[in-house]
Amino acid sequence: MTIKKGSFVIEGLENVQINIGKVVGQGQEIEGPTPRPEIISLRNWDYRILDRYNPVYTPTGDTCDYCTYGKCDLTGNKEGACGIDLEGQSAREALRISIMGAACHSAHGRHLLNYLIRKYGEDYPIDVGPSNLKAPLTETIMGVTPKTIGDFLPVLEYVEEQLTQLTAAINTGQEGAAIDFESKALHAGMLDLLGMEVADIIQISCLNLPKAEENTPLAEIGMGILDPKKPVVICVGHNIAAPAYILDHMDRNGLFDKIEIAGLCCTAHDMTRYKKTAKIIGSMSKELKYIRSGIPDVLVTDEQCVRADILREAKKLQIPVIATNEKITYGLPDRSNDPVDAIVEDLASGKNEGALILDLEKVGEVVPKLAMKIGPIRKAKGITALPDDEEFKKLVSKCTKCLQCTRDCPQSLPISDAMAAAVGGDLSKFEELHDRCVGCGRCDYSCPADIPVLNVIEKASQRVIREEKGKVRIGRGQIGDPEIREEGRNLVLGTTPGVLAFVGCGNYPDGTKDVYDVVEEMLRRSYIIISSGCSAMDIGMYKDTEGKTLYERYPGRFIKGNLLNTGSCVSNAHIAATTIKVASIFAGRKTKGNWEEIADYVLNRVGAVGIAWGAYSQKAFAIGTGCNRLGIPVVVGPHGTKYRRAFIGKPYRKDKWNVLDARDGSVINVEPAPEHLMITAETKNELMPLLAKLCFRPSDNSLGRAIKLTHYIELSEKYMKKMPDDWHIYVRNEADLPLAKKEQLMKLLEEKGWKIDWDKKKIMEGPLRKVDVSFQPTNVPRLCKEVKK
Amino acid sequence: MANEFPFEISPMFEGERVRKDDMFVELAGPKSRGFELVRAASVDEIEDGKFTLIGPDISEMQEGSRHPYAMIYRIAGKLVEPDLEAIVERRNHDFQNYIQGYMHLNQRYDVWVRINKDAIKKGLKSFEQIAKATMMLFKNELPFIEKIEATYVTNPEEVEKQRAEAIKIYEARDARTRGLHDEDVDVFYGCTLCQSFAPTNVCVVTPDRISLCGAINWFDGRAAAKVDPEGPQFAIPKGEVIDKISGEYSGVNEKAVALSGGEYSRIRIHSFFEYPHTSCGCFEVVGFYIPEVDGIGWVDRDFTGTAPNGLAFSTMAGQTGGGKQIIGFLGVGVNYFRSPKFIQADGGWNRVIWMPKNLKEKIKADIPPELVDKLPTEEDVTDLKTLRDYLEKKQHPITQRWTKEEAAAETVAEAPAGAAPEWSMPAPAMGMPVGMPMVPMQFGGGEGMKLTFKNAKITIDRVVLRSKEK
Repeated sequence: MTIKKGSFVIEGLENVQINIGKVVGQGQEIEGPTPRPEIISLRNWDYRILDRYNPVYTPTGDTCDYCTYGKCDLTGNKEGACGIDLEGQSAREALRISIMGAACHSAHGRHLLNYLIRKYGEDYPIDVGPSNLKAPLTETIMGVTPKTIGDFLPVLEYVEEQLTQLTAAINTGQEGAAIDFESKALHAGMLDLLGMEVADIIQISCLNLPKAEENTPLAEIGMGILDPKKPVVICVGHNIAAPAYILDHMDRNGLFDKIEIAGLCCTAHDMTRYKKTAKIIGSMSKELKYIRSGIPDVLVTDEQCVRADILREAKKLQIPVIATNEKITYGLPDRSNDPVDAIVEDLASGKNEGALILDLEKVGEVVPKLAMKIGPIRKAKGITALPDDEEFKKLVSKCTKCLQCTRDCPQSLPISDAMAAAVGGDLSKFEELHDRCVGCGRCDYSCPADIPVLNVIEKASQRVIREEKGKVRIGRGQIGDPEIREEGRNLVLGTTPGVLAFVGCGNYPDGTKDVYDVVEEMLRRSYIIISSGCSAMDIGMYKDTEGKTLYERYPGRFIKGNLLNTGSCVSNAHIAATTIKVASIFAGRKTKGNWEEIADYVLNRVGAVGIAWGAYSQKAFAIGTGCNRLGIPVVVGPHGTKYRRAFIGKPYRKDKWNVLDARDGSVINVEPAPEHLMITAETKNELMPLLAKLCFRPSDNSLGRAIKLTHYIELSEKYMKKMPDDWHIYVRNEADLPLAKKEQLMKLLEEKGWKIDWDKKKIMEGPLRKVDVSFQPTNVPRLCKEVKK
Repeated sequence: MANEFPFEISPMFEGERVRKDDMFVELAGPKSRGFELVRAASVDEIEDGKFTLIGPDISEMQEGSRHPYAMIYRIAGKLVEPDLEAIVERRNHDFQNYIQGYMHLNQRYDVWVRINKDAIKKGLKSFEQIAKATMMLFKNELPFIEKIEATYVTNPEEVEKQRAEAIKIYEARDARTRGLHDEDVDVFYGCTLCQSFAPTNVCVVTPDRISLCGAINWFDGRAAAKVDPEGPQFAIPKGEVIDKISGEYSGVNEKAVALSGGEYSRIRIHSFFEYPHTSCGCFEVVGFYIPEVDGIGWVDRDFTGTAPNGLAFSTMAGQTGGGKQIIGFLGVGVNYFRSPKFIQADGGWNRVIWMPKNLKEKIKADIPPELVDKLPTEEDVTDLKTLRDYLEKKQHPITQRWTKEEAAAETVAEAPAGAAPEWSMPAPAMGMPVGMPMVPMQFGGGEGMKLTFKNAKITIDRVVLRSKEK
């Protein structure tokens, strides 16, 4: 039979069976103008935010060596051989870093999706808990509502295609304008959020991780929580796929009493989300230290945030390494198709130092078996990299105080002072260093006297390490709609001063305690604190005088003054997505394919700020950049300056702070709120008032503004010992003033030249604009009812 | 900034608890007696800022002791009136909790206060310091209070004596609140506080309708409008009564146009189907129409299961909200169930046919007694069939509507084949407004459906031929 194009008539239809394999597009009407945005689709929005929040570059180098023309000197506004200048090159770096981060999370999502589809089928339904908007980022970006995990296939295909396009733009001889590199970087950041959402939703759905639960149990965390007498398995990285098999195997065979299993970095979060009995050692900063303690008997790596030297380090201590992911293979032999016993034998006997096993079911069987076999052998030998007491004394006395280690240390830690104190038997200085040390091991290489500095720090800190036992609330996944609705009253009325998301890695400038201190202060001030990843771990490491961690003191509901943990790095998507839910729930904003309108709503109305105090990776930069495109400001710690780009608002440029009133399109000059989109804070004292300030939004009602201003002023007075210089520009009328200090503040305003009617206690003249609760600020002209010419 | 008090005053201390071990003194509370009261007075009766203490002061109290405690404020000003007393009184709780080291719980005659040792160490000596700070906050926040004076009582006999008087005042006030209805007043109040998030939301607060969020009642609106007539709460003169039962007023309609930016021009305060009140996002309960039984079910935020129509709270709430007028769904605050005008345009309680057990328990006292046993919960019914059976068995008033409709319905739908339910459904409610969104029927797996093509034209864009994959 030949079938040609054209129309034909079917004479009869009897006993016809129509099989519908898959219904696509039902109820999938696109609501906004940009479903599946291409590189260029949201460029107007990017230009709008970049016009106000100017990229500021702090390049670490002023040459470019991307191609063989170079390296090119770009100093003094010189152009390179290809024509690029330093601004363009710096922006290109921002794009490159964003792409790397986005690729990481999306590839993680791709690995999980392929694996979960193989195991559960494409039609496995999505289940993330009680929400109407189940995949807010997917809806907003793609314009579709996924129902099954298979529905995410086109989503990841889109991300991968876009990342290829973006990567192409970095090649020499492609994009040249800094602003368009930045627009593309914002695009990559957005793709990063999308990739993360896919990864976490499918693992929540298929592996039955907590589904927007507020009361998840507490997991143990710390370097001191495991029983080193038992065989110890440590999983390192971010991808739950392999550890899930190990946990299942241990469960089936009743091995939880016999083997200790815990995770390092985000895999640990997801292990506890999968099996509530799993434990967490800590963030990436603990990797090298924990390996060198010699406690692990088997190391299992998957992907992301895994140190490049794990195999070398493990080999010295006869710890076999099982690599389980294509992205990290360490030159190990591929044993995926070999029998379990043969692999175990080769590793236990020391014939092989490790194995690459991509058959995850096999990993599940090999690892516990191997641990049971090699554990007793290693324990009997008492293998550790740490010096004994005798050696320790010798080592510390070798220090010549040359300070090379301090110069090389990312935290510039005073190591030689601690060495000197230790010579006299005082270990307290080392114990202090232990918390501030990020465990990178650069000091080992810098010491001319060949002191293994990191080992010395760890040896000296054994007392505190043994006591390092905290609690973390197990990752909850998304924030469910009912919780958002309940908190809505506080959010909308303004009695919740803001939502602060503490995310990212452990490269803190001054130890993990800072994060704890800041979170505690802001919780007491009724901010909603959402955390994830390594920050969520470090928050749980400290206790109050009653021995309780913050997770034990503050409940985990999305309500003011609560502390939430969404989960691993990819769960960051849910934090950003919560702002989309707010726009959908409270303003009925259409989400599908409607990024610009949603981001505009978030920028002007939702007082949410991200804090990546110890951000180190490209991923953290991509997440931050994605949040920026969604209108969420981000603060990074001092190491964040090394990302070499910030988005800084200039309050003195009045013309940059014009917004439109969507009711009639009139132009209103507003206070600088939020003041910056991506900025660095140097110290925690500087961070706290900055966070309060970045929660201001043009739409604040007076109740909300007064409360935000109260905290801004109080935090500045408490930590910076002064009134902030700019508090008054956020005052629109007397109702905006903090209640307890109204009169004092009005006097200060009068001194600034404002006119006050003291009888009526009213501000008559001075503010930038009047307060109008029905004001509908927008940066997007098409969203205005009628645009005034 | 300089501080005249020996303690910090900040919303930061709102959630502060004073535990027994940290406590210097406990005042009132479950093991003692006390109350707080605000009274309106005329301007010349009051000496502004005056403080009187009857009984021992803090400095005379022993560490760890417990005392009765009464706080009485008298306020005056051109705009002060007795109707505002309760509103002002409730703020005593907020303001006193701003004081560092001072915990204030509950209200009226249930107040429970503790002062911690740190506050004493920092220089808190007298109730006068507490009273002055509280009065300062009252005047800052509520400028219609031109003069205020405070009397605190810690003498046991005096507290007892005055408490008896106070209880009479509370009772009289409650009677006035209960007795005040939409028809008794000339103005309602509008609230735009949530327009910063929900721009088209129009919230009308009347004596019989508390705001959706539950935060603002008619008296609150009145007080706030006095503080600042141009502020987020303002008077809406009722204007002419257009429809008494559904609660439609010309004044409200006019304001609705302005507030919603022209989006809505009619609002019926006590209506579910026609021109219902807009819903923002923080409603506690969502009402949903079930056409199969022509009744309205209600589901609250805390209910995690699915309603008889197979949908969960979050799904239905997703249809509501956003400051929109949505026909067929209505968000309300739990308190609205207590209104005597509860959806009276659509049959009131007689139209209510389902709610979760916990919600029912919470509002049991307000359900008409004859309906309590006829109103099923998730424990009684699971789907539309069992719901219908239950209502029929219990002779729920809604069944009277069915008889009328069934008689009127002429069309008999062809019985669906296969897995379709065996029981018949009444035709959808008669007289439903156009535009009523129907919850789509859920068919499982594409089976059991019989499609008949008549005069159909099938256009195929592309036919892809390929060998069958194995």
